[in-house]
Amino acid sequence: MRPSSANREVQALLDVAIDAVIIIDHRGIIESFNPAAERMFGYTASEALGSNVSVLMPEPDRSAHDSYIARYLGSGIPHILGIGREVDARRKDGSIIPVALAVGRIRDSDPPRFVGFLHDLTVRRRAAEEQQLIRERMTRVSHLATLGEMAGAIAHEINQPLAAISNYALACQRMLEATEPGIAEIQDALKQISGQALRAAEIIGRVRSLVRARARRREPCDINALIQEVSALVRSEARPQGVQLSLDLADDLPPVEVDGIQIQQVLLNLIHNAIEALSTVGSGERRVTVRTGRTTPTELTISVIDSGPGVDPALSGRIFDPFCTTKEHGTGLGLAISKSIIEAHRGRLVHHPNVPTGACFSINLPVLEGVQ
Amino acid sequence: MKPAATLAPIVYVVDDDEAVRSSLKLLLKSAGLTSLAHVSATDFLAAFDEDQPGCLVLDIRMPEMNGLELQDELNRRGAMIPVIFITGHGDVPMAVESMRRGALDFLQKPFRDEDLIDRVRIALALDKNNREQLGARDAIRCRLAALTPREMQVLQLLALGKSNKQMAGDLGVSQRTIEIHRAHLMHKVEATSVAQLVRMFLAADIGTSTY
Repeated sequence: MRPSSANREVQALLDVAIDAVIIIDHRGIIESFNPAAERMFGYTASEALGSNVSVLMPEPDRSAHDSYIARYLGSGIPHILGIGREVDARRKDGSIIPVALAVGRIRDSDPPRFVGFLHDLTVRRRAAEEQQLIRERMTRVSHLATLGEMAGAIAHEINQPLAAISNYALACQRMLEATEPGIAEIQDALKQISGQALRAAEIIGRVRSLVRARARRREPCDINALIQEVSALVRSEARPQGVQLSLDLADDLPPVEVDGIQIQQVLLNLIHNAIEALSTVGSGERRVTVRTGRTTPTELTISVIDSGPGVDPALSGRIFDPFCTTKEHGTGLGLAISKSIIEAHRGRLVHHPNVPTGACFSINLPVLEGVQ
Repeated sequence: MKPAATLAPIVYVVDDDEAVRSSLKLLLKSAGLTSLAHVSATDFLAAFDEDQPGCLVLDIRMPEMNGLELQDELNRRGAMIPVIFITGHGDVPMAVESMRRGALDFLQKPFRDEDLIDRVRIALALDKNNREQLGARDAIRCRLAALTPREMQVLQLLALGKSNKQMAGDLGVSQRTIEIHRAHLMHKVEATSVAQLVRMFLAADIGTSTY
C-alpha cells in the first residue's frame, strides 16, 4: 500500500469514527482532532489543534496532565496507556461529561506521540441512574407495600402494654382475694397499669402522626404511571401463581393531586387481594385487570377487577370494616386502611361484583382543579 | 441428675419487654408460683440449670436470638423443660413451627383470664412427671447394674416369658439354680412380684441385645 493512499484511508477512518480520536505529542499538544471529537467537545479542529490537551479535562487532571506525561516519559511505566478507564471530560461550554478513555503510544514515534479514543458515556450513565432511581422508588413502595404487615407491627407494639395491663389487673384481683392483701404491692401494680395505658396511647399517637406527616406529601401525579410502577412490582408475584395481570389504561387522563406512595399502597393491596383470591380458583382463567378511565368531568376511576370467586355476599356489607378478614392470617385491616387513605384524598373506594364472576374494586379520585 | 423432689419449680420468663416481664412475675407470684425473668435468650441460657424443675414462658419475637432459636438451642442440648410461647402478634406459620418443634403451647398477648396460669400449671405438672419418670428409670438402672451377668440373662429370659424349665434348658443349668438366681434377682431389684420385675426391666429401657 502506498503512503498517500494509506493516509487517505486513515483520514477516512478518523472522519467517520463515532468515537472521538485525538493525537497529541510528548508535550500534550493536540496534533489531530477528528469530527467526532469536535461534536463531543464543542471545539472546532482549528481551535483545538496546537492547544494543550488538558483544556479538555476538568480539575484536578487539567493542572496535572503535563506531569502525567512527564512521569511516563521519565519512568516508562504506563498509568493509563493500554489500560483505559472512565474519566470526566470538559466541553468548551464548561459542562462535564463522563467518557471511556483508551490511550496508546504510537509505535516508533520519537519523541513519543499518543492517540486517545474517547467514547461518550452520558447516555449510558443516565440510563443507569434512571434504573437506579426506579429501583429505589420500587424498594420504597414495596417496603411500605403490605398495609397488613404494617398493621401487624402496630398490633404487636400495642399488645405489649395491653398484655402488661391485663397481667397486672389479674394479679391485683388475685391478691385482693388473699386473706391479707399486700396493699403496697397492689398500689404499685395499679400505678403500672395506668402507666402502661399511657404507653399504649403513645403508640397510637405515633401511628397517627406518621399518617398525618405522610398525608401532606401531595403532588400532581399521572395515575397511569403510578399503576405501571405497581404492576412492575406485582408481576413477579402474579406469574408463579399463573395469574395474568393486564393493564387497560385510558389515554389523556388529567393529573390527580395525591400522595403517590399511598395510592400505590392501596393499589398494591387491592391487586394482592385479587391475586390471592385467584389462587383459590381451581381452573379457568386467572386474570387481574387494572383499568383507568374518566368517569365524570371532575373524577377519574381506577378499577381492579379479578375473575376469582368474588366476595361472599354475606360479607359484602362488612368488607371495609376493620378486622373483617377471610384470610387465615389476615389482619382485616388492608381494605379498611385503603378506604381511609382514599377518603383522605376526597375520593371513594367501593366494591361491586364483577360479571360473570369475580370482584371489582373501584377507586374514584377528583382530578386536579383547574385541569378539568 | 439430682432428685427432682428436692427443688421447687421455677417459671422462667424470657421477654424483651420490661412491662410484660414484671407484670408476668407479679401475676405468677399472685398464683403462688416462683418465677425468674430474663431480658434475652442469651441471658436465660447463661443462667439455665437443666436440673432445676420448671417451665419456660418464652416471647417469640426478640432481638438477637428469637424464641424459636432459643427453643432450637434447648432441643440441641436435650433439655426437657416445657416451653410455652407467647407473642404480641400471633402468626399462624410461626405457631405451627413452634409446636412442630415441641412447644407445649402458643398464647397470644394479652392473655385471656387465667389462660396463662392454667397453662403454666399444666407445664409444671408435665415437667414433674417427666422428671419422676426419668428419676425412676435412673434408680432402676442403678439396681440392675448390681446384677451378675448370669442374673441379667435370667432376667432377660423372664421378660421373654420363659418358664424355669425352659430357662434351665437354655442356659444349661438345673432348675434349682434358676430358682436361686430368681430369688437373688428379686431381692436386688427390690421387686415384690415377677410382673413388677418385668415392668421395671422394660422401664429401664436397656434392651435385650446382651443376650
